[in-house]
Amino acid sequence: MLFNSFNFLIFLPIVFISYWFLCRKSNKAQNILLLCASYFFYGMWDWRFLFLIIASTLVDFIVGKQLFLSQQQKNRKQWLWISIIFNLGILAYFKYVNFFIDSWIDFITLIGYTNTDYWSLNILLPVGISFYTFQTMSYTLDIYHRKLQPSKSFLEFATFVSFFPQLVAGPIEQASQLLPQLHQKRQFSYQQAKEGLQLILWGFFKKVAIADSIAFIVDDIFAHYTSHSASTLCLGAFLFSFQIYGDFSGYSDIAIGTAKLFGIELSSNFKFPYFSKNIREFWQRWHISLSNWFKYYVYIPLGGSKNNQITTLRNILIVFLVSGLWHGANWTFVVWGLLHFLLYIPSIFSIKKQVHHTKTYKNIWLRSLKEYSQILITFISITIAWIFFRAPSITEAFGYILQAITHLEIETYQHPMGYRMIDYFVVLVVFISYEYHIRKDERAPFEFSSPYARFIAYTLVIFGLLLFYEDHVDRSFIYFQF
Amino acid sequence: MKKFLKKIVYYLVLITIILEILVRLCYLGKDTPSRWVDSYQVEKWKPNQQGMSVTGNRRQNFSKYNINKAGFNSYREFIPSPHATEVALVGDSYIQGFHQDYTNSIGKKIEQQLPTVAIYEYGYAGYDFADQMHLIDAYKNDFKHIDHVIIYIKFSEDLQRGIYNVRIERLALESPKNKLLRSSKLLLYAKNIGVLDPPKRWIRRMLSYLTPSAPQKTSNTSEQKKIKPQKEINYLENFKQLVSTYHYNKQRYTLLLDTADTPALFLTYLKEHQFPYIDINEVLAPAIQPTTLIYDQHWNDHGRTLIAGQIATYLQKILP
Repeated sequence: MLFNSFNFLIFLPIVFISYWFLCRKSNKAQNILLLCASYFFYGMWDWRFLFLIIASTLVDFIVGKQLFLSQQQKNRKQWLWISIIFNLGILAYFKYVNFFIDSWIDFITLIGYTNTDYWSLNILLPVGISFYTFQTMSYTLDIYHRKLQPSKSFLEFATFVSFFPQLVAGPIEQASQLLPQLHQKRQFSYQQAKEGLQLILWGFFKKVAIADSIAFIVDDIFAHYTSHSASTLCLGAFLFSFQIYGDFSGYSDIAIGTAKLFGIELSSNFKFPYFSKNIREFWQRWHISLSNWFKYYVYIPLGGSKNNQITTLRNILIVFLVSGLWHGANWTFVVWGLLHFLLYIPSIFSIKKQVHHTKTYKNIWLRSLKEYSQILITFISITIAWIFFRAPSITEAFGYILQAITHLEIETYQHPMGYRMIDYFVVLVVFISYEYHIRKDERAPFEFSSPYARFIAYTLVIFGLLLFYEDHVDRSFIYFQF
Repeated sequence: MKKFLKKIVYYLVLITIILEILVRLCYLGKDTPSRWVDSYQVEKWKPNQQGMSVTGNRRQNFSKYNINKAGFNSYREFIPSPHATEVALVGDSYIQGFHQDYTNSIGKKIEQQLPTVAIYEYGYAGYDFADQMHLIDAYKNDFKHIDHVIIYIKFSEDLQRGIYNVRIERLALESPKNKLLRSSKLLLYAKNIGVLDPPKRWIRRMLSYLTPSAPQKTSNTSEQKKIKPQKEINYLENFKQLVSTYHYNKQRYTLLLDTADTPALFLTYLKEHQFPYIDINEVLAPAIQPTTLIYDQHWNDHGRTLIAGQIATYLQKILP
């Protein structure tokens, strides 16, 4: 079930009303309802993959208990490996088998062997598998590192794994953040529910009025890049930056907002990443839950930045390559990760890195032209890297860039449906300005002192949704494929 | 909790009202003229209506229409006279032309090339050949003064029946419920941009679960191959029947059609029986610029100019 589907519009109020009217007296009843709703939500895509979630839940619940009970380190390690092999095993099978087969065939062809027996498996990728496997792994890893005690209730744990707002595309919640909330009975809070609805509305605006409306243009430019000049290709890459941001951060906002409606706080996933002044800051603002996951479960176990700078560089490189591969079974994502690593290097050696870190979270008003330039340079770098993320192959990504370099001309781009392009530029300028205005708190998109101003903002956002609603686009979220 | 739900309802009502005002202020929702069936059993627009036809989320296509006293969209009144040279252009939405400004219609474009000729555009969305023939027959007192009649026809759509009767389903659009729905510009706008399609589909799906119907037979390719020629034969029979019923006058009537969309069977029949026709494909196919709108398949300004030019050339040859 998609958030932006009519099914969800029916589903959410039913679950919400049942949750607060029928199940408000008991934590157990609340969790039962959330679990059933989550399985129904997921089963609407493909009920067969529900068994995969249930299997993953069972394995990690048992492993978590055994990890806690085992006193010997050797036994603990064995249990941890069971969890890792199981979770990464299903991820590898469903997501990477064909990638590895194809890559192997490409490799042996490259070194001179001719392969006539080409084959691949017809495997469907279960929606959200990368997200929930990482979430369950965080549970066993935290218990292994003695940061968390295992959940005593299977119901709570199953709800933690399958909680529908963040099941298919995150935020990837750490068990220590979400499980304690599921352990307590949730009380209805007017303020929290209001904030939830506000986030849902803002998330829909990002998805419908920004991401979906420009998707058609981006698809057109990337599909016919050989017939365009630099100006159009730059436009395509620029718009894709906003498409993917609107799409994914829109999803995250809806997820966080929906969770709030049920009295649950999820962690923030985006903090206005395009206002970052360097790549390091960008990764503190973009897909934060994934960055944190890699930080806690890959980067720090590898040694983090405790050792010399070469080791730190190696660790960061590993994180970026794995992160790239996590996004998709394609070498384009690996190159995208590598590019981000290269862009990240200067900030490792920067003396002022702590200052940037502080500014990131305090979100101090930008004062100088220098800072604006830093933002612009960072954004351009990220946009170039997105070309690899968006292109179907590395060859096409390089082809896209080469076409832009060799055709340094300005042309007027015509929308494939003949729509006015100015409309899209206007909505993007309004969107960027508004995000700049609200950038102090990513969880409060309608923070106005006057209720009238807030009401006007609601109305204009809904009006914007109508103005840019596209009837004929694929409305699924980009990150569902990961 | 109750406060929260109350506030949601309160905000929804207020926002709906403001959106209705915004849609009206920005003229995003189109006007829909009222239709009726006159004493001759001809379905057409109620006379003397004016409004705006709007297409797209952001008013991408915006044009004025003007329903004259005769009940058709035109800048002029239809007063056929034996002393003037007049041509009737009969057809469906392509001739009706709500997607263009009524002062820039095909008829007007023809008149600009033939200043002594008055063009009467009897266009109405959904008219098929039966509607067209019935109209000409019902208004025979008017049409007898008209020097020539050009009938726009699409073979696959306009020959599905051989007997005229009033289309009840179209008139259902004038039901009190639909009239009420039309009074909300916001609702009309939402419907036009497709916002209401998902709930409609959802309701249909739910209803289909509740009332399971018999599985539909899916015809295979060989069956479809058989059905298509049969359909063409049936359509041709309908054409023959209507021509015979309404005493089609080959000297005064000319068909306007696109041979690219017309089967050889029908074209051969027309040639063999000397039905004159104008083939708009002759001007549309070689056109370099697009000839249709971007939102639908109606002719855009360029397409209309080309067709008007072709009709004008044809009329110059046949009119005294």
